[in-house]
Amino acid sequence: MVWWGTLSGGLAVLLAAFMTGAPIFIAFLVINIAGVLVVLGQPGFGMVANSIFETTNIAALSAIPLFILMGELLFRSGSIDILFDSVDKLVGKVRGRQYVLCIVLSTIFGALSGAAMGVAAMMARTLYPGMIERKYDSRLSTGAILAGASLAPIIPPSVLVIIIGTLADVSIAGLLIAGIVPGLLLSGMFLIYIFARVRANPELAPYGDSDTAPEVTLWEMVVAVLRVMPFAIIIFCVMGFILLGVATPSESAATGVLGALLTAVYYRKLNWKMVSESVSSAAFITSMILVIMASSKMFSQLLAFTGSTRELTSLIVTLNFEPYVMLFIMMLIPFILCMFIDQIALMLVVIPIYQPLLGTLGFDPIWFWLIMLLNVTVGGITPPFGYTMFAFKGSAPHVPLKDIFSATWPFVGIFLVGMIVIAAFPPLATWLPGLL
Amino acid sequence: MGDVLNTLARLHDGVTRVGFHLSKLCLGIIVFAYCYEVFARYFFAAPTWWSSEAVQYSLCIGAFLMMPHVTKEKGHVAVTVLLDMLAQEKTRLLYWFIYLVGFLACAAATWISLDENIRQIVKDVHLMKVKPIPKIYISAWITYGFGSSAIYFLRMLDPRTLGVEKPASGMHG
Repeated sequence: MVWWGTLSGGLAVLLAAFMTGAPIFIAFLVINIAGVLVVLGQPGFGMVANSIFETTNIAALSAIPLFILMGELLFRSGSIDILFDSVDKLVGKVRGRQYVLCIVLSTIFGALSGAAMGVAAMMARTLYPGMIERKYDSRLSTGAILAGASLAPIIPPSVLVIIIGTLADVSIAGLLIAGIVPGLLLSGMFLIYIFARVRANPELAPYGDSDTAPEVTLWEMVVAVLRVMPFAIIIFCVMGFILLGVATPSESAATGVLGALLTAVYYRKLNWKMVSESVSSAAFITSMILVIMASSKMFSQLLAFTGSTRELTSLIVTLNFEPYVMLFIMMLIPFILCMFIDQIALMLVVIPIYQPLLGTLGFDPIWFWLIMLLNVTVGGITPPFGYTMFAFKGSAPHVPLKDIFSATWPFVGIFLVGMIVIAAFPPLATWLPGLL
Repeated sequence: MGDVLNTLARLHDGVTRVGFHLSKLCLGIIVFAYCYEVFARYFFAAPTWWSSEAVQYSLCIGAFLMMPHVTKEKGHVAVTVLLDMLAQEKTRLLYWFIYLVGFLACAAATWISLDENIRQIVKDVHLMKVKPIPKIYISAWITYGFGSSAIYFLRMLDPRTLGVEKPASGMHG
């Protein structure tokens, strides 16, 4: 069979298998075992076993459970409530202050948690009811929470970065640090959008709500800052250690876990049940992710064996498109697919195909994979399929799914603008990693 | 016959529960190994030889010890857009088919992994590490994970327990 038939046929069968509702790892296993049988025959089964073994023996992937555990410990212990109170005091009296509080808190949570779902669920439980009670607009509140939660995979720590870095063979430390500026940029863009909406339509934020802000003296503000210092230490353990070259991303994640434990001790919120539940949850999610990664590895190897990846690279060279046209096409495909399929499944399919093309197109790997990270992250809030939206719905079940869907689109648009800005100004992504 | 199967099912669940707790222990080992490494390296200038290896082994063993529990709890990530649109009776049918394919795929993976385990024992394959250990010590857990999951998929085919509940969504985003 010609290479493009193999490539498109393989991808079509795989996507069809995903859509049946079968667990993603089962879809990969079926396609890979059948593929090996056809391409290599029974002797190729040893390669399947080895691909599973090698994938789950990559030390860098240990950052996944550690980043998840760090967030779980902070959220489950209730330590995060102190952060909540302090930021509430510091936001001050601004029009639409609950929206501002939401975005500022999300940005800080982004630096403490590696996954959007945890942040979305937590904000839906804690902040959303208060926003509705104060007569804030439900749709804008939902959108702000979902957009804010989506900063978590961009600002380090990030589970998605570990997966992209491992699959694409790019510096995980570099990619983690590269997310800081775009994360803050997006956070700023969300705030500008919210201020503009509230200015254009004052009914989105109730009159007089800024008056309900607590009266805070300068001393109380200083106390509020001092109270959140333990969180600053955790952020330093993760970002600071990587930036200073003191520890690898996995080691810094482990010290972040230790920091989260010590923070819980400091706030007198440490108990065995909470630690046990946090570890259970982190181990559960890690197993879920690693089993998918292990089952999928052979797919990229099969593409290489059939010569599909090599031929696709040659085709791209002969097409001679402008790099920005190629970038647009390469980003459009995951953007559309992420509306319907899982983010990790998509990355496992797309990254092995894209990776060999980067050298040919002359793209900086950190810059390119960071834009991909933004693209995949926004997939969590693009209807109809997005885990971040589902996590919100799970914690705020009375909000109709159609309202959640309509709430996200303006923020999806902001994400796209952010991606264009970073594509146009690569130093926004590459400057900080360049300091490593 | 029914009693025997129930006893076997309880035994299977018991083994899975032990694996679940051991998997948590593996995560604890990862945290300890890395924290110890950072402290030893920077405070005592004495980097360890074992931390990286302990982490790799714990990650692999922990993931596959937890896998049967994830399968039992229907926690594997799936795209349920189609399932959400189908009528309940058709959904039950599709789930039955998914569990059957799940059983066959996991059974095939178990057989492939077991075949590789036997080869590793026969040829005495060791991992190329600072302290080489037989590869079977680690890879055997992969066989366990897939094998036990295959049994759970088989148990899900039982029409009495075949529910219409969806597989859980993932939490990685």
